[in-house]
Amino acid sequence: MKKIFNIRLILFILPVFMFTCDDQLDEQQELVVVVDDIDYTSEDGALGALVGAYQKFNDIGWEQIPLLSVRGDDVNAGGLGDQQGFADTDNYVYDNNFWMYNVFFENWAQDILQITAQIEQLEKFRAAGVDSDLIDQYVAECRVLRGFVTLELSRMFGDVYKIETTDQTQIEVLPKDELMVWISDEMDQSIPYLLDTAPNQRVDLPGGITKYTGLTVKAMANLEVGNYQNVADATGEIINSNRFQLFDDYYHLFKTDGKLANENIMEIQYSDFGQASGENVSHLFEFYGPENWTAAVPEAGSGWGFYEPSFKFVKFMLDRGETVRLETSVLFTDRGIAELQTDPNYATLPSWISNTTRDGDVINDFTRAYFSSGKHYLPSIELTPGRTTYGTNKNYTVIRYSEVLLMYAEALTRGASGSAGTADSAVNLIRNRAGLDNLSGVTSDQVMDEKFAELGMEWGIRFYDMVRLGETEELSYDGRNFTMEKAFLPYPQAQLDQSYILNAYNQNQND
Amino acid sequence: MKTKISLLLMLFFSICSFAQQIEINGTVTSESDGMPLPGTSVIIKGTDRGVTTDFDGKYMIMAEVGEQLEFSYIGFVPQVITVGYENQLNITLIDDVASLNEVVVVGYGTQKKADLTSAISTIKPEELQKTPSAQVAQSFQGKVAGVQVSSMGSPGETPEIIIRGTNSLYGNSSPLFVVDGAFFDNVDFLNSSEIESVSILKDASASAIYGVRAANGVVLITTKGGRLNKKAEITFSTYYGMQIAQNVLKMANTEQFVTFAQESGSAAEISSVNQAMQRFGRSRVNPNIPDVNTDWYDEVLRVASIENHDFQVNGGGADISYSVGGNFFAQDGILDMKNSYERFNVRAKVDAKVNDWLKVGGNMLYSNAVKYDDEASAWQETYFAVPILPVYDSNFTDADPLPYSDAREIGYRNSQNPFTLLDNSDRRGERRRTVANFYADFKLIPEQLSFKSSLSYNYLGVNERIVSLPYYVTDDYQRSVNQSSITRNNAVTENYIWDNTLTYTNTFGEHDITVLAGMSFRDDYASNFGASGNFDPNGAFIRNNDKTWYLTNTSEDSRTAYDGGSRSYGFSYFTRAQYKFNDKYLAYATFRAEGSNKYDETYVYLPAFGLGWELSKESFMENVGFIDYLKLRAGWGRLANDAVPASIPQSASTISTVFDDTLVNGFQFSTSSDDLDWEYTEELNLGLSSNFFNNRLSLEADYFIKDTENLAIPVLPLIGTDVSYQNVGSLRNKGLELAATWNGRISDDWSYSISGNFSTLDNEITSLEGQPYIDTGTAEARQRLVVGQPINVFYGWEIEGVYQNQAEIDADPVAQAAIADGTDIKPGYFKYKDNNSSGTLDSEDREYLGSPVPDYYYGGSLGLNYKNFELNVAFYGQGGNVILNTNRMEVIRTQGRNIDAQLAVNRWHGEGTTNEFPSSEGYRNVWNQRLSKFFLQEGDFFRIQNIQLAYTLREENLPEMRFTLTADRPFLSTKSYDGFNPEVGFDGRDTQTYPTPSVYTFGVTVKL
Repeated sequence: MKKIFNIRLILFILPVFMFTCDDQLDEQQELVVVVDDIDYTSEDGALGALVGAYQKFNDIGWEQIPLLSVRGDDVNAGGLGDQQGFADTDNYVYDNNFWMYNVFFENWAQDILQITAQIEQLEKFRAAGVDSDLIDQYVAECRVLRGFVTLELSRMFGDVYKIETTDQTQIEVLPKDELMVWISDEMDQSIPYLLDTAPNQRVDLPGGITKYTGLTVKAMANLEVGNYQNVADATGEIINSNRFQLFDDYYHLFKTDGKLANENIMEIQYSDFGQASGENVSHLFEFYGPENWTAAVPEAGSGWGFYEPSFKFVKFMLDRGETVRLETSVLFTDRGIAELQTDPNYATLPSWISNTTRDGDVINDFTRAYFSSGKHYLPSIELTPGRTTYGTNKNYTVIRYSEVLLMYAEALTRGASGSAGTADSAVNLIRNRAGLDNLSGVTSDQVMDEKFAELGMEWGIRFYDMVRLGETEELSYDGRNFTMEKAFLPYPQAQLDQSYILNAYNQNQND
Repeated sequence: MKTKISLLLMLFFSICSFAQQIEINGTVTSESDGMPLPGTSVIIKGTDRGVTTDFDGKYMIMAEVGEQLEFSYIGFVPQVITVGYENQLNITLIDDVASLNEVVVVGYGTQKKADLTSAISTIKPEELQKTPSAQVAQSFQGKVAGVQVSSMGSPGETPEIIIRGTNSLYGNSSPLFVVDGAFFDNVDFLNSSEIESVSILKDASASAIYGVRAANGVVLITTKGGRLNKKAEITFSTYYGMQIAQNVLKMANTEQFVTFAQESGSAAEISSVNQAMQRFGRSRVNPNIPDVNTDWYDEVLRVASIENHDFQVNGGGADISYSVGGNFFAQDGILDMKNSYERFNVRAKVDAKVNDWLKVGGNMLYSNAVKYDDEASAWQETYFAVPILPVYDSNFTDADPLPYSDAREIGYRNSQNPFTLLDNSDRRGERRRTVANFYADFKLIPEQLSFKSSLSYNYLGVNERIVSLPYYVTDDYQRSVNQSSITRNNAVTENYIWDNTLTYTNTFGEHDITVLAGMSFRDDYASNFGASGNFDPNGAFIRNNDKTWYLTNTSEDSRTAYDGGSRSYGFSYFTRAQYKFNDKYLAYATFRAEGSNKYDETYVYLPAFGLGWELSKESFMENVGFIDYLKLRAGWGRLANDAVPASIPQSASTISTVFDDTLVNGFQFSTSSDDLDWEYTEELNLGLSSNFFNNRLSLEADYFIKDTENLAIPVLPLIGTDVSYQNVGSLRNKGLELAATWNGRISDDWSYSISGNFSTLDNEITSLEGQPYIDTGTAEARQRLVVGQPINVFYGWEIEGVYQNQAEIDADPVAQAAIADGTDIKPGYFKYKDNNSSGTLDSEDREYLGSPVPDYYYGGSLGLNYKNFELNVAFYGQGGNVILNTNRMEVIRTQGRNIDAQLAVNRWHGEGTTNEFPSSEGYRNVWNQRLSKFFLQEGDFFRIQNIQLAYTLREENLPEMRFTLTADRPFLSTKSYDGFNPEVGFDGRDTQTYPTPSVYTFGVTVKL
């Protein structure tokens, strides 16, 4: 063992310490697309940003539309013994800890925020040189969508956020009436840039938002605040455009044939792309489906048994002698029919009423409900072979031209002047399709009845009409007691916890 | 006188090296068991002459009279004998309880335990081997103060480990494992027989040298190696045993369930009971209940086997030492499905002294494991399945493979039967790991300066095949072939670390110095590729032949694929300096500068210091007889945590939606952006190490305060759901750790040892940068981060009792206010505490209901030896936490499910029946579904971890044989939690926890 300094060895190892790897320390992370890396000069990119706004809205949770509409006298919670909070809501007993309220509030608020983020990004495409007119159109579509989502959130909770920026500290809570005025203004500013065509005629994004979607949302916002002239003007413009017709076959309007019908002013589109398996974008229609059925296609799955058309609605329709609209709206069970017949006035029912649909699906008795919703039903024979989940490949219709006609008629009966014909003509168009006789000199009440019959089970339209008109009697049905204090759901506890803005507003309101 | 003079002369001569050498021989044995100690080093002090004992503990050395022979062996007190005229010296070494001479593996080197200034605990390999498990980390539980282990029941699942509390919210909290220099997140590939030493670096002053991966503490593991001049030791060991579910959760039986359903007032529930009676008949004992009483847990559980076979050879010649081993482990899960873990390991380790200035070595380990995962959601299904449903329903005559019963037939929303899941899924994961490590150690200046370069490489290939299989019961209760799917995932993780260290050691009089300087380069690469598809009904797929389970047999249009990856680099310089003065004053410092490509700030600087004072060596302590050793320690260190994910700036993700039956792609831009950088942890540790009563008692105590600064916290949006993360919080963990061991001897045949440890942990959020709180958990079961409370504390309403009668409701303004608001309050509903005396129940009435993290835990063992028999009992316990019973809470979403027996029996059903449980009807009402102690249960438990009885047979002409009988986790006592397993993980939410079984094994070890 040589006890000397091993100088050669030291020289040999020194270079090791010279080694560095600063280059690698500047490497970017994998798979992160930083906003700054996006090619803002690309027209396709701008379209992608717009599609992002649509997708956010289309990706809607199963519990949200039911919560939005369950309080009406057209529909009951169903699903007996399940989702007590949902049933309580149907009975106007609200608990702000119920999870659905929170999921609804936070997701719809996120939708609004996301759409706003897409608008902000679209402006970057404009700044980078993408055709400014195109950006105007895309931004206008986003604003219509944002207006609609805000309108629905506000009908549910009353005073909610007005969101025009993603800077959250700049967001304020506005009273519902002011929000409606804001939405109307937003539509006015957007309409000039929107495509002048029916949504189903759009080539780039068939079923996307057009000028007429904007006009409809404007009408809806004005209807909420009773500004009937604005309603008549907006709906009149839609009618006069002659770009819309009622779909002849009311029953099939809610089936596969009704996808992208000319009557649809707004719809959420789903698809299984006609393939037996693989990619499938769908809504959870099982929620609405009967819990027990013998389907014409044996392997077709049944539903959860929620969302039950009310006896009040069924009787109302029978009283009117409705046929196709009742058939389309309600799936009967034997148990439901028998229960109906216990009322001596309905002991004898039209012969066509049966628990077998015209497409051969037999709705068996189940304990959770007497009836199921027909507008949310897709006959099993319409399922793409290989697909078995209830309602796969069905679209979710949001706004129909018939609602536009009826809003027009209502505005006229409440004193507005219109340029698109009489209230009678608007109402009769709808009645004729339903196989009913003409009316003349229609009254506001008749319009509201027509709306009940035409739009039952759809999007809480009935409930918000009754609330807007203060018709507490109508909503106090089947043992329920509705008062105007029950018009809005309470802010979800989790939202009050999350946002000091909402919390402070809520405190002020309560003081 | 003459003799003395001659002695002096002898000494003189010896010093002059003229003295005559004599041959000394003898045997070295261990005091405790009388066994020979092969490999004991016998060195003549002050010279470089020395030998080691052979396999029989025998040695032979030439020495001169008057020279001092030092006999030393790890784990024993060294003995020094002055050479006289006797030729035979038989030495008995005494167990060193305190192991002061024990060498402890520390960051990039070793240190004598006596010189440590930081909190480092070691676990002996024989302790690890007492636990029959594939997971080494499982056996850490209860062994070391300050280390919490949450074990997993599922075969092959790695336990969660937390050292000294949760430091980070966004990053993970598991420690870094360093195995022979390579970095790992877990050590699921090691068998306990392959481990030579485990050191757990608990405080920051010890772990800071490992840099940004070490924020949660470090577990250093050295695999077994050979030793120079050692006769080959061949060990074969095996055990075989059974696993049996323990503390099986009791659910309501049919009678209890029917009673509960009838009391619910729900027409649907009652109707289902009637339908069950129609379909399955009435019980002959009680005609009001169906003739079915399924105990679903009993159905899904089974007794499962566990086995382990291990073969190791260690030894060494003059220049080369080696260790070679192989190992096979197999375990079935106690869940009745294809659920198992099998692992096959081979490894080799070689160290060679090439010449005077170079030592090289390397080791390789290859591990091949196949894990069949359980279908985790089956646990929840089992809880929910109603007892009035049989497992099979003979009405389904066309069923294939089996006629699973369907709860929808009796009016429930879901089919409920967990066997459709269990029988028809197959989740295979193959994990192939290769770990290789090579080093070269150059002596630049003998005994003083050395340079070591080592390269560690780790490759993990995970190949998963997840298959859902078709079954048919009825047309609307089936999974057809084209709904049956296969998912393949291929994930590769690869990393290498290149470490270079220069170490200088010297002694100048009373000053001992060691300085180390090094650099380390790290490259972590991961990629994963996966594809899935649905089987083609017209293809070659066959349900019962897994040779056909390939993507090739899926229909083309159903296939989807994904691909992802990550790569990060780290580069760092580090140094460590140790200084000892007068053998009693210790100082220690480390510093690491680490670069990473993860955050904007590339380099982070991490210092650490330590001081120690060996008080017992001071003159004023000499008279204190009972104290053998006393050292005070203090350490401080700073760590950074790179487990916090990289900042995601405002980013875009690709989405798609449908327009006219065509999928259209687009982007969504995040509505928030992260702002993340290094998270720091700073820790102060004060400790003492001591031995008393002739080293019979050793006691270690540590107190620490650990602050995480720049804590990455979720900054919730005011609006919406898009959370961002920013380094704006801080949190503190502090705690006290005590560990004591007592070794006693009653007679030559009887001896015993008692050891115990106790740890407290106080975890608290100290800042959220102005945010009053951050909500975590879920909207229904709210947890919070809030200053002054432990992380994720549960937040809800306190129950004062249950309304017993209408009069109580009438008298309570809170109930009256609720009634006025439309909620129908009935007897059997909870009476909540109106904390803010507002007269109504509102959000302001909420309070903190408990933390998911235990705030104390303890472990210990009792050992008793009689001749060749050993009995060991180990225990573990923890307390102070609460567990959320999410299954019981699921009633919020879906009713019409079974309930636990505790609730069924204790439900309110009339005045005076209970003040803690709601009525059956009330259980279904939102009023009673607020988060309260009804859904939270105390997590305190005590468990016998392990009982082992061993007998060692030592007969001449026979190899040494050891027989063991082990009962692992045979007994559990919980305070209030009625779930299977109170170890639900550190989030405190019991969702789909796999029960930890009791394991009973018989083992044999043969040594040649």
